Amino acid sequence: MPVDTKVIRALIVDDEAPARALLREYLSADANVEVVAECANGFEAVKTIGELEPDLVLLDVQMPKLDGFEVLDLIERRPAVVFVTAYDEYALKAFEVHAADYVLKPVGRERLAEALAQVRARLAAGGTPVAPSPAALAAAARPPGQFVERLLVKEGTQVHVIPVGRLEWIEAQDDYAAIRSGGKTFLKNQTLSEIAAGLDPARFVRIHRSWVLNVECLARLELYAKDSRVAILKDGKQLPVSRAGYARLQELL
Amino acid sequence: MHPLLQGRMRPVLYLVLWLGIGALLVTIMVLFQPRPVGHAVAFAAPLTLVFASICLSAWWVCRANPLATTPPLRLANATLGAALQAGAVWAGLAALWAALLSARLHIGPDRPGLLRDLAVVFTAGVVLYAQSIVAHYFLLAFESARDAERRVMASQVNAREAELRALRAQLNPHFLFNSLNSISALTGSDPEAARRMCQLLGDFLRLSLSLGARERVAFAEELALAERYLAIEQVRFGARLAVDRQVEPGAQRCLVPPLLIQPLIENAVKHGVADRVEGGTVRIAARRRGGALEIEVENPRDPAAPPRRGHGLGLENVRQRLRALDPRGAGLDVVRTPDRFRVLLRVPAVEEEGGVRAAPEAAAARHDAAVPAGEGEHDAG
Repeated sequence: MPVDTKVIRALIVDDEAPARALLREYLSADANVEVVAECANGFEAVKTIGELEPDLVLLDVQMPKLDGFEVLDLIERRPAVVFVTAYDEYALKAFEVHAADYVLKPVGRERLAEALAQVRARLAAGGTPVAPSPAALAAAARPPGQFVERLLVKEGTQVHVIPVGRLEWIEAQDDYAAIRSGGKTFLKNQTLSEIAAGLDPARFVRIHRSWVLNVECLARLELYAKDSRVAILKDGKQLPVSRAGYARLQELL
Repeated sequence: MHPLLQGRMRPVLYLVLWLGIGALLVTIMVLFQPRPVGHAVAFAAPLTLVFASICLSAWWVCRANPLATTPPLRLANATLGAALQAGAVWAGLAALWAALLSARLHIGPDRPGLLRDLAVVFTAGVVLYAQSIVAHYFLLAFESARDAERRVMASQVNAREAELRALRAQLNPHFLFNSLNSISALTGSDPEAARRMCQLLGDFLRLSLSLGARERVAFAEELALAERYLAIEQVRFGARLAVDRQVEPGAQRCLVPPLLIQPLIENAVKHGVADRVEGGTVRIAARRRGGALEIEVENPRDPAAPPRRGHGLGLENVRQRLRALDPRGAGLDVVRTPDRFRVLLRVPAVEEEGGVRAAPEAAAARHDAAVPAGEGEHDAG
């Protein structure tokens, strides 16, 4: 069986019902595409992509709660992605996260067919599309030249949004990071360095190879041994401070 | 009118100045020809007052011979001539006054003494008038500089207003793209709705162009534009967008700068509806409070929404336009709570010429009481 007749399982993500209806109508004309679901916001999209594992996601950028880039940042297995939006300014970012295509609204039938051809070519070439690095995804999910304002953590099918103001500390755990906020600890599938790169260095300090601290949570520093200090947090928790970390803290405080 | 006679302070200052000059004149006369101070005052005081008014005529001399355009010779001729004439007139008046004083009160010097007094008066008159001319030239220069400044400021305000109008007249292109996408979708599923949408979009474009080209529009016209806009957005967002209008009839007749609330409505839809999964209600309220028209635009907001998605630029533009319109009578307040965002606009309530005149405050207050919150139009969507 030729590869290009394989049925593509597609998911439509857009917060506007008419926009979803239009894409569904165009796709229904193609016997080799099956629309498996429609989602009206980013949260739904993250959940549905995890559950249904579609081959293709037609993704709007501006949506409530999570935008299109944040959705990509949160999903584990990457389907092929075609952005569909009225805004042309996200095109560069879209290709940085290896989007198969970028289609502008109002959407034309031929233009969408071209995008589908791109997707077919990708699926035929590699099977699964090459996933971009988590760092590239994280960078795309935040506004250019700014620090992140919230961290997104996926737990099963649930997505937690942690505003950075309520972030207390992050601990490196191999390829994961343990994020402490509001008395709970969340595990995020990203390294400490990748997360720290997006945080405002005036508020968050790498006090140790394995620890990033929100300086607002710091109560005091105590000398623990020669050249070694310990940070006492306002809630009483103690974190190790390396020599380099101490120098960074001093610079800030 | 003479600029020195304008206001309350200027004539007083001018008189004080001449009191000083009069005192100086008295001193000179007493020193020049010893006599009782009272006699010198009786002679000099009325004359000083009269000459104070004569010196005001320098204003017209200066205006008739502008420094920048009058040839030097003619300038010297005109000013010196005026000064000599003023001095001569004053000396003449002094002679008459001295004769009167001598005849009625028997005070004053003998004949040679009188001639010397008149010589002093004439000289002082010429010098004082010449000084008055110099002072008036300064005054003229000062006034014209201030006029120029005022004109520059006025034209800057006008230019700014025009610029903002042009800016506002530029349609948000994404609104257009999204609307066209909706029409395209409806064409397949509901052609009748697609036609309605085309109609709405056409109306919206036509209205926004025609309002944007004018200086002032009735608030009712602004509302008509907002209604088209919201109707189009309701097609996109469906039940997520609800509208609550509470506009008093008196408010509709007031004049406002065009497209003043449109950016606020667009913001309200974006933050209150597009950015929220469950959508929300955009509330528009307007009423008259005394001499002001108060307009409110309110929307719910997502407490967790990052600040970068704030109402920054559009609001600042509206604020600047209001400041240009009337720095004291117009203004904008923002009330931000974790889950609501409300903008309160105030502009002077001015009605169209020929329109129904403003109701007095008492009537307006009664009207407010008679229209409870529920009586406004409620549209859900």
